[in-house]
Amino acid sequence: MQMNHVPSVCCFCGCGCGFYFNVSDGRITGISPSRSHPVSRGNLCVKGWHAHEFVYSPNRLLHPLVRKNGRLVRASWDEALSRTAEALRKVLEREGGGAIGLLSSAKCTNEENYLLQKLARAVLKTNNVDHCARL
Amino acid sequence: MLKKKIIKKDHLKPFLRKLSKGSDLIAPVRNGLGDVLYEKIHSIDHQEIDLSTQPQESAKAFLFPQSEALYTYDCSQGYRFSQEKDGRPTVLFGLRSCDISAILYMDVIFMRGPKDLHYVRRREKTIIIGIGCNKPWENCFCNATKSGPFLEFGFDLQLTDLGDRYFVESGRARGDSLIDNWPQFFLPVTEEDERLRYQLVLEARSGFTRQVHVDSAFNRIKDVGVDASIWEHLATRCDGCGGCAYICPTCTCFTIFDRPTSRDKGQRIRTWDSCTHLGFTEMAGGANPVNPQRDRLKRRFLHKLYYDYLEFKRPSCVGCGRCLGICFGGVDIGLFVELVCSNSKKGREEDSANILAKLLVEAGLVDQEEIEEALAQRAKTGTPLGKILVEKGLVTKGQLAEVLMEKVEKS
Amino acid sequence: MTNSIEEIAGSEVIFVIGSNTTEAHPQIARRIIRAVDKGATLIVADPRDTAMAEIADIHLKLNPGTDIPLLNAMMRVILREGLIDDAFIEMRTENFNALRDTLFAQDFDALVELTGISPELIKRAARLYASAQKATICYCLGITQHVCGTANVESIANLAMITGHVEQDYTGVNPLRGQNNVQGACDMGALPGVFPGYQAVSDEKVREKFARAWKTDLPEAPGLTVMDMTHQGVRNGIKAMFIMGENPVLSDPDSSAVEKNLSSLDFLAVADIFLTETAQLADVVFPAASFAEKTGTITNSERRVQLMQRAIEPLGECRADTEIIAALSNLMGYPMNYQEPAEIMEEIALLTPIYGGIYHDRLERSWGIQWPCPNREHPGTPYLHKYSFARGRGRFVPASHIPPKELPDGDYPFMLITGRTYHHYHTGGMTRASEILSREEKEAFVEINPQDAERIRVRNGQLVRLRSRRGEITVRARATKRVPEGILYTTFHFAESPVNRLTNPARDPVAKCPEYKVCAVAVEPADG
Repeated sequence: MQMNHVPSVCCFCGCGCGFYFNVSDGRITGISPSRSHPVSRGNLCVKGWHAHEFVYSPNRLLHPLVRKNGRLVRASWDEALSRTAEALRKVLEREGGGAIGLLSSAKCTNEENYLLQKLARAVLKTNNVDHCARL
Repeated sequence: MLKKKIIKKDHLKPFLRKLSKGSDLIAPVRNGLGDVLYEKIHSIDHQEIDLSTQPQESAKAFLFPQSEALYTYDCSQGYRFSQEKDGRPTVLFGLRSCDISAILYMDVIFMRGPKDLHYVRRREKTIIIGIGCNKPWENCFCNATKSGPFLEFGFDLQLTDLGDRYFVESGRARGDSLIDNWPQFFLPVTEEDERLRYQLVLEARSGFTRQVHVDSAFNRIKDVGVDASIWEHLATRCDGCGGCAYICPTCTCFTIFDRPTSRDKGQRIRTWDSCTHLGFTEMAGGANPVNPQRDRLKRRFLHKLYYDYLEFKRPSCVGCGRCLGICFGGVDIGLFVELVCSNSKKGREEDSANILAKLLVEAGLVDQEEIEEALAQRAKTGTPLGKILVEKGLVTKGQLAEVLMEKVEKS
Repeated sequence: MTNSIEEIAGSEVIFVIGSNTTEAHPQIARRIIRAVDKGATLIVADPRDTAMAEIADIHLKLNPGTDIPLLNAMMRVILREGLIDDAFIEMRTENFNALRDTLFAQDFDALVELTGISPELIKRAARLYASAQKATICYCLGITQHVCGTANVESIANLAMITGHVEQDYTGVNPLRGQNNVQGACDMGALPGVFPGYQAVSDEKVREKFARAWKTDLPEAPGLTVMDMTHQGVRNGIKAMFIMGENPVLSDPDSSAVEKNLSSLDFLAVADIFLTETAQLADVVFPAASFAEKTGTITNSERRVQLMQRAIEPLGECRADTEIIAALSNLMGYPMNYQEPAEIMEEIALLTPIYGGIYHDRLERSWGIQWPCPNREHPGTPYLHKYSFARGRGRFVPASHIPPKELPDGDYPFMLITGRTYHHYHTGGMTRASEILSREEKEAFVEINPQDAERIRVRNGQLVRLRSRRGEITVRARATKRVPEGILYTTFHFAESPVNRLTNPARDPVAKCPEYKVCAVAVEPADG
């Protein structure tokens, strides 16, 4: 059996433990806490040790959904994206950016958060962007 | 007679390159972040095989991964199950003695009695090349668990670092055939090599900085048990993270669950489990025979240091020291052994001093005030109670002996 | 955090307030316990007997919502007994006189009475904290999730500053961050008032800088905060929303109101890894890649920016959020063409001074860099406020007791506290999808003191109904002395027992953080 260790950071609390995904044949088979990492120092809490399990949860959403006749149904990426872009453009043109709100996430990466606020400010012309830090 | 040879350090890489053809070669590699982990060697020229330190984890996950699919099921047309059957040939290179000992323990768990097919298919195709430890690291105590720093058996080949060359011992026929397949790399052993190796082994044995008295702990547990206060202390500190079990090279407990991929298809998954987890023994109805945390820790430590000792004449802790210092509550196996050894010793002395004091007062030889003073002195200086009383002239050695005899008779 | 996590292990006195550290921040608890084992003194202020409180030298078992009286009482002791750090106050702070006047205007006995703690214990704690060489305060949402959250935090800062416990190693004030990247989301300007790096939207120069870099004009009007969008969005004129990786229907207080508001939008798009309660209300749902399936950086509590590397290909048709945003932007006529997340980080470094020297290639070779890191050669900053505070002098902001918005009364006689458990996380989307974690903790529970349980005729393990002025939920009772009489404690991870139907959306006026921690409830057997 072969196994590669891919460095990552725990997705749960703000401690920011460093660990490795153990990857074998394109699948994650486990987690190894880093011994040299200044926070994890060779161990993880129970959540960190199991941080790979939800990735393969049967409840993962694996394709875009679009509401049709009141129900969410499977759709293509093109359809989901263009429908969103259209809806946002319509509100933007009619009501201005002030009528659009965006919620970013403390679970997403810096790059994602940066892009979302850029989308809000540069494209949708609104400062209505926030996330759950204050909650 | 199994083979003994010498290989020059310069020839190790060419030898490993040969081994990596047709097999997955797994070796300790230092990565850019400063950790040394067992990795598959994709390119022997570009990965830094590091034999200078203990890898941060054992090789357990290569034979028994944290999570694996036992089989996939499909009930769409009747019931169909499929499972992977063949393991890839693998060479585990650079394993430390503790980690090899752990694999031997896993062999007992997974291959004695009903065979675990997933373990067996990997294990049977795995060649183990170990390296003895010339110098133990800070947390090592394999001397106390009889699983290092060098091994007598259990490996295919075992290397000893002699400076510019390795002393190579074969541990079984498969090791011999490795040497026979590539004779060009191996030189005969000289007397000087033998002498040097012997000396290194002796030096390594005396090089341990951490004393973990596993044998004494076993004896104390057998003779007097473990004081309840120790379990209470450990229980208030244990979070139940499971880290000590997951990092442990000999912890082999697992649980099984199904992970559906659709309504009638899915996988049956096996994943590591830990005896410190609440759900490890919880029944479907909610009853839990091993509760609270105190009992779970009792099971964990006694299993490693006592029950397995009774069965195998050695603990199932291999002294790798990886769990030391990583416990969130600071209660690892090293602390447990220390507490058992010191507490039961102290406890017994405490008890016997108090019993003696009571008997002496009952016999009318010493009055209460005098005895309390003597007990206080004992607590302060550690001098045995009898000696204090005799030195003070309160009792004679003869009287003391009489009272003590009486005590023995009573008990 | 002003300190690094590792430094906590070297403190002499650690004061934990409003944090169930063992369960919510295990790695911090590990350092605290290590310090205790080395001889440090641990003071814990918490209404419950948390695991941390059990090993504490002093447990200040305060009434919920009386943090300010407690801190003020401690400061009065410190002032009266001359334990303040005069030099520090003189050199580094301002407005001390106002604090002193406020403190002396308050009656010590009355403060103590409010907290419900013995005066001797408060005095001991104050003396220990003030006279230590190296003292650290760790606080968490037990401090901030109150209507007086900002005043609570300011009071903690007051305590640290009058004793000079801020500027050295092993000494400081450490808010523990709840989410893996809550720090980073703030740093990146996912806030209505600031661009990345806390550069104010209201500052014309800043706006110009970003407008030039982004080659477009930028809005000036201040934006709405979370709850102004999730609760009153429609009333505030919001017609469409895009929600990335959050589940406000479960996570925001008074969740029925959120559901109603989001349902009345003209358009809602959600990107998430699961079909969450919020996603179910959406018009379009994008399947997002999980953290194992993408590359990117996150910033932990101690400001350490770290790289997560993609371990596996995205599952199914999932895509990273960066790709989703870029695709949307492209469709809307504003091109965003980034080859990889590293290129986005280069743009961040260019525009964000505190991230100025942070690049992916540097992060690949280390376990992160702590900002501020102004340039490539800079090694990062392990602790803040070394020689001066960000704003110059540290300002004392005196505070007086502000009781919780809702106190128990005849109809709702119990005080409900909410919090996190060890095995689960927030709305449970991720942890409940993990087989082992969901096995360890299957369902929500409410802790109730055995005396209370007996009085209202509830057995351990029985289902009970919790009711507040806003809604009701059913949850299993756990009779335990960990909670004092009159107080209930429950978790918020379980959609079947959505505790935020009960919680109070009353908010702190400055931080706009709602009072999750406490509300008044009634409890009764569910089957009776």
